[in-house]
Amino acid sequence: MTPPAWLGYGWLEPHFIGWMLQGAALTAWLALLVCGLATLLGVLLAAGYEQRWRSVRLAVRTFLSLHRNTPLMVQLLLWYFGVAGLLPEAVMLWLNAPHEVTLAGWTLAWPSFEFVAALIALSLYSAAFVAEEIRAGIRSVAPGQHAAALALGMTPRQVFRHIVLPQALRVVCRPLLGQYLGVIKNTSLTMAIGVAELSYSSRQVESETLLTFQAFAVATLLYLLLVLGAQLAGGRARPTLGGGR
Amino acid sequence: MTAVEVISANLDYLLLGSWPAGPLGGMALSVVIGLTAALLASLLGLAGGIVLTLGSPLLRRLVAISAALLRAIPVVMLIFWCYFLLPVLFAVDVPGTLTVIAALALIGGAFLTQAVYAGIAAIAAGQWQAGLSLGFSHWQTLRLIVLPQALRIMVPSFVNQWITLVKDTSLAYIVGVAELTFVASQVNNREQVYPLPVFATVALLYWLWCSGLVWLGARWETRYAGVGRK
Repeated sequence: MTPPAWLGYGWLEPHFIGWMLQGAALTAWLALLVCGLATLLGVLLAAGYEQRWRSVRLAVRTFLSLHRNTPLMVQLLLWYFGVAGLLPEAVMLWLNAPHEVTLAGWTLAWPSFEFVAALIALSLYSAAFVAEEIRAGIRSVAPGQHAAALALGMTPRQVFRHIVLPQALRVVCRPLLGQYLGVIKNTSLTMAIGVAELSYSSRQVESETLLTFQAFAVATLLYLLLVLGAQLAGGRARPTLGGGR
Repeated sequence: MTAVEVISANLDYLLLGSWPAGPLGGMALSVVIGLTAALLASLLGLAGGIVLTLGSPLLRRLVAISAALLRAIPVVMLIFWCYFLLPVLFAVDVPGTLTVIAALALIGGAFLTQAVYAGIAAIAAGQWQAGLSLGFSHWQTLRLIVLPQALRIMVPSFVNQWITLVKDTSLAYIVGVAELTFVASQVNNREQVYPLPVFATVALLYWLWCSGLVWLGARWETRYAGVGRK
């Protein structure tokens, strides 16, 4: 069956859908790495916010404000063009050349410079938002908990690690899931610096086939699947993490 | 040339684009896109939230599903849809700036629909009952009694969404609209020497803009703190 004129008289051939599936896989992989790094860094930043030293608090506040109140797109370009300009030429040549390590039959390839820049920029940006959510969670833990743990002879670090953080994380699950879904959507911006993720591949397919509607429909569907899938997985993970209250 | 000289030589271009000799661009165009999209998104969100509260079941479901879909896809995808398909569907040349405004307004409206609906739901049921028992219709109760209180609760959501919108105007870069980020990359390509200072200057401009909104939001919030809460 030939589609009507506004659909461009054609369907996408399977190998074009293959391109977009590869793009979707890269989107998922990048999002997964970013979520991990952003959570780790977010916890550290939130802990820094609760420190006694004013200089640490000021540094954290500055970091949060700079990363939350500037566009992710500008941060990506800053890392991609700006840092590339700072590094010595030899380092850039090494980063841009392919590198592979073979370990017990598994080949690990050093990712492209685009991917590394995207990973750093996205992780720092998302960490600022994760930190803010965790901080709100920490604030929601009753002050008596903190006092009780100190009275039992725990050090401030032990109090944070064993008493405050576990309770804060429980409160913070839901908003954190929202941030993670945001990370999946935000990976689409990395196409601007040439990361071949889902949006990038949909543009590639579109310009190759001129089947605009089909290319964007497939990409949109894949995004919906990724986001709804993550939502479902997150909803299922919650009861195990949030038990006991 | 030093970095400062490069920035100051290009500052006019970063702020205004090729205006007045050519079309408006740079930060001025970002502001136009941001303000228009924020206004449209706020109106859409208000309308959506009201429909979710008072609409017929079918209409409610329709609005809820389309808002959920819009919230689940990246802004970049919606910009593609608007940029590449609006011209095909309407067989006219739609300027890139308009398609970006449309995409940003739709996504912002979808998020604000949720916020407005939640804000209305947060008003105590007694307010509705009091309005209805005084002989007001549902629409009158909403407009005269519930909404004025709910809007105060919604102030933070609206300000946050506006900040997100401001940052998302930079996505127009992807379809080549000559707003601040695109113009900055042009300057960077032309000068080649100081990528970090160029993009840092642009980041600072956005930061000032967003921080201004944060400050305004905090002021409103303290003014209306606690008013109309359950």
